[in-house]
Amino acid sequence: MERWEVFQGVYVHTPFCLQKCLYCDFPSYSGFPEEVRQQYVEALCREIEIRSRQRDLPVAEGATVYFGGGTPTVLSEEQIGQIVGCLKRNGFWKKPAEATIEANPGTVNPEKLKTLRELGFDRISIGVQSLQDKELRALGRIHTAEQALRAVEEAKQAGFQRINADLMSGIPCQTVESFCNTLDAMLRMNLSHLSVYSLILEEGTPLERLVEKGNVSLPDEETSYSMYEMTRSRLEQAGLKRYEISNYAVPGEESLHNKVYWHYEPYAAFGVGACTFTGNERRTNTIDVREYINAWSAVIVALQSKESATFEKNISAAGSDCTLWETETLDRKTQISEAMIMALRMTEGVDLNIMQRRFGADISKYYEREIQMLLDKKMAEREAGVLRLTPYGMRYGNRAFEAFV
Amino acid sequence: MQKDHIRNFSIIAHIDHGKSTLADRLIEMTGTLSKREMEEQILDSMELEKERGITIKDQAVQSIYRARNGEDYMLNFIDTPGHVDFNYEVSRALAACEGALLVIDASQGIEAQTLANTYLAIDNNLEIIPVINKIDLPSADPDKVRKEIEDVIGIDASEAVLCSAKTGEGVDDILEAIVERIPAPDCDDSKPLKALVFDSKFDSYKGVILYLRVYDGTIRKGMKIEMMATGATYEVTEVGVFKPAPVNVDVLSAGEVGFLAAAIKTVGEARVGDTVTDAVHPADEPLPGYRKATPMVFCGLYPVENTDYDNLRDALEKLQLNDASLLFEPETSTALGFGFRCGFLGLLHMDIIKERLEREYKLDLITTAPNVVYQIDKTNGDIELVDNPSAFPEPNVIATVSEPYVTATIIVPKDYVGSVMELSQEKRGEYQNMTYLDEDRVMIHYSLPLSEIIYDYFDRLKSCSRGYASLDYELSGYKPSDLVKVDILLNGDQVDALSAIVHRENAQVQGRKLVERLRSLIPRQQFAIPVQAAIGNKVIAREDVAALRKDVLAKCYGGDITRKRKLLEKQKAGKKRMKQVGTVELPQEAFMAILSMDKKK
Repeated sequence: MERWEVFQGVYVHTPFCLQKCLYCDFPSYSGFPEEVRQQYVEALCREIEIRSRQRDLPVAEGATVYFGGGTPTVLSEEQIGQIVGCLKRNGFWKKPAEATIEANPGTVNPEKLKTLRELGFDRISIGVQSLQDKELRALGRIHTAEQALRAVEEAKQAGFQRINADLMSGIPCQTVESFCNTLDAMLRMNLSHLSVYSLILEEGTPLERLVEKGNVSLPDEETSYSMYEMTRSRLEQAGLKRYEISNYAVPGEESLHNKVYWHYEPYAAFGVGACTFTGNERRTNTIDVREYINAWSAVIVALQSKESATFEKNISAAGSDCTLWETETLDRKTQISEAMIMALRMTEGVDLNIMQRRFGADISKYYEREIQMLLDKKMAEREAGVLRLTPYGMRYGNRAFEAFV
Repeated sequence: MQKDHIRNFSIIAHIDHGKSTLADRLIEMTGTLSKREMEEQILDSMELEKERGITIKDQAVQSIYRARNGEDYMLNFIDTPGHVDFNYEVSRALAACEGALLVIDASQGIEAQTLANTYLAIDNNLEIIPVINKIDLPSADPDKVRKEIEDVIGIDASEAVLCSAKTGEGVDDILEAIVERIPAPDCDDSKPLKALVFDSKFDSYKGVILYLRVYDGTIRKGMKIEMMATGATYEVTEVGVFKPAPVNVDVLSAGEVGFLAAAIKTVGEARVGDTVTDAVHPADEPLPGYRKATPMVFCGLYPVENTDYDNLRDALEKLQLNDASLLFEPETSTALGFGFRCGFLGLLHMDIIKERLEREYKLDLITTAPNVVYQIDKTNGDIELVDNPSAFPEPNVIATVSEPYVTATIIVPKDYVGSVMELSQEKRGEYQNMTYLDEDRVMIHYSLPLSEIIYDYFDRLKSCSRGYASLDYELSGYKPSDLVKVDILLNGDQVDALSAIVHRENAQVQGRKLVERLRSLIPRQQFAIPVQAAIGNKVIAREDVAALRKDVLAKCYGGDITRKRKLLEKQKAGKKRMKQVGTVELPQEAFMAILSMDKKK
């Protein structure tokens, strides 16, 4: 079977945070009491269990697992264990090539980290964002720089060899110098993977309102651009190679799970707001925690009543009543265009031969004009059936991607 | 129908003063159509006309009205376009009538456009029946309006009909007034045929349909006719009247209004204002007043995609079948490639054609800023007419440049006189005179360059008078002006499609405003773009569009592909109207920058 015919990754979403960051537009909520969190874990397990029978693609033996959020580590060790066990029982956690959990400094301690290792997580992604307290406050983070560094240290102690830290550039009141200090301090931790994102001012976030009202000002374009360029030069000097627009790793230590996304391979996803991709369809779960809990409880009731003939009918009937998820059907054209824009995010580029095998279309013909335009503008280069963006092309990535939508 | 029972009339009204409603009401009350049929067959039939609330093409509706005296009368209502661009069409439509209803809003009073058309009607010796409409409004002041009619137009308004087209009140009085006060046509069936073409319309099955008013003689199917201006002859295939749906008749007699079809291929062969006569027994001389409508405003039309060039030509040819006043000829721009220089009667006409090309023919177009035709007297004695700024000759061969001027009539509440005069002065206007219409409203006359009118004069007039000013103008002729060409350079390369002709005294200021405006309109690109204005080789202003330092979505994982893709699609759609000029992508608005120079950024 081809890689794109099998679920290559499994994602589990935890929509809870101790406090929502000012820039965040993810489905994540603070303030739910413990009992709701427990109900959520139960509902999540029901979703995993029921969808294991309904699933339309097999799960690859080495399918990666990723616990994201929100903050998965706001769940208790027992709750995380409950979910892992459920994934294992239902064939979504076999022999994962990589099992990552996201963690927020301030929600982990040595014991919890040890438990996570024991549960089978071999990679941890820590939301550090900045190592300047002033900037962390400006983002609405709950932790200090010191706590962040301690969390990284504790993760190492717990036996995590594959650790990622998320950093951010373009933070309110950040300067080139302060950013540089953050990078240097982070590099001293000797991690094998760093993600460095330019802050995106998302619609409807408190940060957007603050900026609009003029209470907060973001670094100017020139400054953010310096940070962007500095990220690459500093990290590559330190042996972390850029492999995606915002991701850097010691060669061989790239995130396998995220590469599933960028290779446009199928993945199963569970939980609030989670998005499953089968190759032909994208199914996005409701982002409402209570609706999610109620809906999956209703499915169970429907299943127990055994009134309908088949399981699947029951699920879809209950599912459509409760709008468990919204389905977007992707036609071939959309698939090709999405596969292109995802793959071009990676420095390895897009393998046109694989594209041809997968979609039965000669991409260099199909996108002849677009590719030529990028080559002419030196935004891309082509070599042995591979098309990749140049560093210049990545800098103006949206203009390159735009050509393919 | 006996000649003395025919009444031909039209309606003069300002936009929003209720012409369409009244026309609908008249047709309804004569029993020509039921209310339901009315809704389906309204006079303004083109989608665009409905949206803009104006009439572009004339229509003529025949109805039979049983008057209070018990006798039946044939009422022919000729609808006229309500815009200054179509002044000539209005004059021909009025020439086809013996009378006109002058409809005035009881709360608004006379507006500039109404005035101009009323004078046209008086010139054509029409009997004018003042109608004061919207008397149901609480703010209605019929006495004031009546006095205004007498003071301003100088006609007796004591017998003005008061009505509300909306409620129907007074509409029957209007019908009676039409019968009693508008004279019957003075005509003779036995004389050689003379019929005035007051409109035409292209029909893909029948060829051109001519809208006619027969003065003398009769028209029947099968007879040979001659167009007196062009000398072309045709055989009549169909004769009919509009009720308002077309109905064929055996004969159109003297005094009547109707249509004919004669397998005429383009409207250019049978223009508005021409006289139709019997090819076998022609009339001695045509009806007076014929002239070819001349385009006043020109602009370049270019397809965004060069491959659409042939489609654009086909579309223009099709539109021209129905619109003899539309001119176009191929032109090449170094910046925009292959396109057409098109001539229009005015700005509205231009907008309508543009919109039709985009809507009906699904073309994505780049339009250059409109300009007038300059007359250039060269040092060698030649006279050249220039309809494209980029074709403006070098200064050393120019003796004098003349540009078209108009006489503008502005009616405005007296509080705004100061700002109107200030604006007109700024727009190089020469004050002529001012009269008080009543204690509140003033009529001002200015002589203004037409080019200033087609830039942003009207918009600014509206905004400096809070929308109260109304404007009308007519061409008064050419006057010498000290004009120079300002060129625009992007990235050091001259962009011919952005050149503008301005007055020398204003050149510096205009050049600076133009580059500032362009800077705000040109989206930032991957490199900095110097925008310069130059006269000849001398740069008079410069602004830089700063480079965009980066443009890339930092994050894209499994969950948000759809959203990110839609974002990219939206971004791409926004660039659809961009034209690659050299290395720079220019949005449509950039080519119109000169029209919006004084807008706040």
